[in-house]
Amino acid sequence: MRLKVSPRLISAIVVGLVILFLVNKNWGGASISAKTISSFLVVGIALGGIYAITAGGLVVTYATTGIFNFAHAAIGCFLAFCYWQLTVKQGLPTVVALIITLFVIAPAIGFLLDKVIMRRLRDAALVVQLMVTVGLMLTFMGITLTIWSPKTGRSLPQFFQNTQGVQFGDVTATWHRIITVVVALLVALGLRFLLYKTRLGISMRAVVDSRSLAGLTGAKPSIISGSSWALGCMTAGLAGILIAPETGLVVENLALIIVVASAAAAIAQLKSIPMAFIGGLVIGLAKSFSAVYLEWGKDWAYADEAIPAAILFIALLFLPMARLETGKIRITKRTERLTKPWEAALGAGVMIAIVGAWANGWIPWISGTTFGERSTVWLGRGAGFLVLGLVMLSLIPLIGWAGQVSFANYAIAGIGAVLFSHFGGQNGDALGIVWVMLICAPLGLAIALPALRLKGLYLALATMAFAEVADKVLIRHPSMLDPSATGVLFKPVNFFGITISSSASDRKAFLMFLVIAFALLFFMLEMLRRTRWARRWIAMSDSPAASATIGVNLTTTKMMVFMLSGAMAGFAGCMIGLQRGALSVDSFPLFAGLPLVLLIAVQGVRYPVAAFMGFIGLASFPALFEVLGKPSWLTAIELIGPGIAAIAMAYRPEGAVFYSGRDLAGLLPWRKDAREEKALAVAKEREQNIGKDEIGDMGLTRPFSADKVAQLDRVLDITDLVDEHKMAPTGGAS
Amino acid sequence: MSSILSTQDVVVRFGVLQAVSQASIEVIEGRVTGLIGPNGAGKTTLFNVITGLQEPTAGKVFFDGKDITNKTPFKRARLGIARTFQKLEVFGSLSARENILVAAEQRKTWDRSGFDPAKVCDEILAKVGLSHVSEFMVGTLPTGTARLVELARALASNPRVLLLDEPSSGLNEEETEEMAALLKTFVEEGLAVLLVEHDMSFVMGTCEYIHVLDFGVIIAEGTPAEVQADSHVQAAYLGTKTEEQAS
Ligand SMILES: Nc1ncnc2c1ncn2[C@@H]1O[C@H](COP(=O)(O)OP(=O)(O)OP(=O)(O)O)[C@@H](O)[C@H]1O
Ligand SMILES: [Mg+2]
Repeated sequence: MRLKVSPRLISAIVVGLVILFLVNKNWGGASISAKTISSFLVVGIALGGIYAITAGGLVVTYATTGIFNFAHAAIGCFLAFCYWQLTVKQGLPTVVALIITLFVIAPAIGFLLDKVIMRRLRDAALVVQLMVTVGLMLTFMGITLTIWSPKTGRSLPQFFQNTQGVQFGDVTATWHRIITVVVALLVALGLRFLLYKTRLGISMRAVVDSRSLAGLTGAKPSIISGSSWALGCMTAGLAGILIAPETGLVVENLALIIVVASAAAAIAQLKSIPMAFIGGLVIGLAKSFSAVYLEWGKDWAYADEAIPAAILFIALLFLPMARLETGKIRITKRTERLTKPWEAALGAGVMIAIVGAWANGWIPWISGTTFGERSTVWLGRGAGFLVLGLVMLSLIPLIGWAGQVSFANYAIAGIGAVLFSHFGGQNGDALGIVWVMLICAPLGLAIALPALRLKGLYLALATMAFAEVADKVLIRHPSMLDPSATGVLFKPVNFFGITISSSASDRKAFLMFLVIAFALLFFMLEMLRRTRWARRWIAMSDSPAASATIGVNLTTTKMMVFMLSGAMAGFAGCMIGLQRGALSVDSFPLFAGLPLVLLIAVQGVRYPVAAFMGFIGLASFPALFEVLGKPSWLTAIELIGPGIAAIAMAYRPEGAVFYSGRDLAGLLPWRKDAREEKALAVAKEREQNIGKDEIGDMGLTRPFSADKVAQLDRVLDITDLVDEHKMAPTGGAS
Repeated sequence: MSSILSTQDVVVRFGVLQAVSQASIEVIEGRVTGLIGPNGAGKTTLFNVITGLQEPTAGKVFFDGKDITNKTPFKRARLGIARTFQKLEVFGSLSARENILVAAEQRKTWDRSGFDPAKVCDEILAKVGLSHVSEFMVGTLPTGTARLVELARALASNPRVLLLDEPSSGLNEEETEEMAALLKTFVEEGLAVLLVEHDMSFVMGTCEYIHVLDFGVIIAEGTPAEVQADSHVQAAYLGTKTEEQAS
């Protein structure tokens, strides 16, 4: 114990000092009076209530299903729009609309999600679980944007909008806010009661630990997990309806609450509902404190936006170290052999040939479109998609091999692009690219550092928070990207006689340069896959516990892959800068980076070739628009498609490249190995499915008696306690 | 014959449940030591304590005379402790050969004897009889074969102590016999083996010395014959028998 207390104490002191320093430095000069205090509290608590409801729903879903639902806020957003439709548009009475939204639509969505998607995710790899829910988030955002076009403004009235509210000192709390806080409190208490004191709730928690344990309660596992999702959707909807009048009925604002709610959920260690409530309040109060008392100055004008992320990072420092779990079923169905060097070289050659043939007009295209004529516009676009392909390539070793899910690489690329405009880009100095890569490697590591010793999920949360901070705060700092400076930031760079830049005359050369660089990186990755580094990363991802027991230092192993991926993202960033020529402060939003992660995952994140397929996928929509005109159904598909594709991963977790590769390789006469392995994999899958059916039946027959419940409760409480006590050292920490 | 690995009064508590109570066992070079007990007795938990995956609530673990209780799992591996898992922990998306290669290459980081990992890997594959599946992804192999892969992987780090958690589960009778024969060759080479096993004929046939664990407590120890004759052991096993029949 003595060893564990001290680093925490040190962290606490350091964090405390940093906060004191920031507060002192940015003190806005507002006096601490009854007036400011009451406004700080009233605003903070109201804001906190909003976050608390969302965080509570998030934690309940995680505690009862084992899946962290990134779509939680997006579902809430969709339901808020439904509610708007019913009240404002159709003119239904508030109560009726509330009942329809929260007790009909929301549970229906929940049961449907459970049946169609979530049940298949129980034993899936973390990457797949995350991708599917992120895909779900984009889908719900896309559906909402399609049904309710953002071009028309909408607003949701507050509850009791026309009443006075309550006076606290000099500050008025509207009834809406009071209701929000009361509802948040009731929801927290209600959920806590439900999970710990009712039969359904106990079964819900039991399902996470083991389906057979849930069988003891006599309930059918499928109904239990359906109820969990229904409950999650209801809390999401409630939060959405309460938040929308405050933030405006805007899809992105509502869906982004997920970043804030994740921070609160991390404070709650993803399992304690009361702590999620407190976490929400802490964030709300911190934001309101900053608004009332602090003056960030114009350089840090958006520092406010970083508060939830900062709180998330602080929370991560204080979480107990994750235990190296054993005995978790991980279904891997891979049939694949190592790519031989000549095959990789051939692949690289084909990539160069495809892009080269298109760029030079050797492929006949549909005439009459600018796409077919390969205008400079299209050459520029092609390069634009290829640089994003480079970002996807940087994810292969990190997510695909080492299993470390990161949403930060697009943000790192963004920072890389901005840095390149300072280091060499403005003079066309190619050496600057090396500097940027050398800076981005440790940057990638630094983002991951607080989450290295924790469960993989926290890493995903931390990287998402970082991406948000990079977009809202770092890149906007004038010394990074001066908003007053416009025009070209990057001068053409000369590489062995090829001039690359965004100007129209250089575009073909640039595209060729990019595809050659891409193909080289692809080849290097394929070769890296054959080395002990990649083997060790994959081993670590497949079984951390077994890796540790053969002597792998998990911490340093993870650090290596983060640095590699960071450097690759930095290179991609330099290329993004050169390709765009100029950057604006909002060039690298979180929502632009997410689809890249989804796309590579859908294609098959373990396979370098998937990044090229991702590039083709990115190019395909604009190309179709060119060829087909601009049909509105295609717009809808473009909005919803990536999400749907990610959701499909629940059925096809390994990615498109894998399945097509397996089936196509089997067709080659000399690939007998592929046919054999496929047969083995299919047989094994069948065996596993039989096992699952048997378990599914168990619940039906078991009686439900008081002592069984008591037994179950004891087990569950034990596991709750256990989580706090079991802190076996993982790999690297010593 | 000297003791290479021992635990001293190890206690593991999970909340209110005491999974291991003051367990002291000893593993000796050049022989197979058995650790048996009914389901839930705490055998796997004790393995986790020895390999560093589970922090003990109290007690100590000694390896080669040194206290290793506070060492991380990977450092213990480097000292020469290797194990297999009751529930498979293979690297499912690597080939069988790569599974073993990872461990052999890892050994390079501390073993400076200048061996060639690829060669070591092929030798071990031949030894445990996996050469014919060496290029298959382990995730697609049947459980029995995957178990052998785990064993081979453990061997690849050239351990001084090998901990095997129910190696015979998922194996058929013939394979179990082969496994027993393999274990014999290991101990002849001077390896120390700690074996957890439910298959009693396997245990009694291979172990020279047996510790019996029941509800986390060592209730008996001795040679197979002594243990079989022990009245506590009979009670513990009969007790679970009746429970199993009831449920
Ligand atoms: N992580 C954990 N959290 C809570 N309880 C645990 C945990 N691991 C083990 N236990 C409990 O500790 C006890 C001992 O478990 P252990 O797995 O060590 O038994 P075992 O002797 O290996 O049994 P088996 O023969 O079934 O493998 C059991 O009651 C088990 O439920
Ligand atoms: Mg066991």
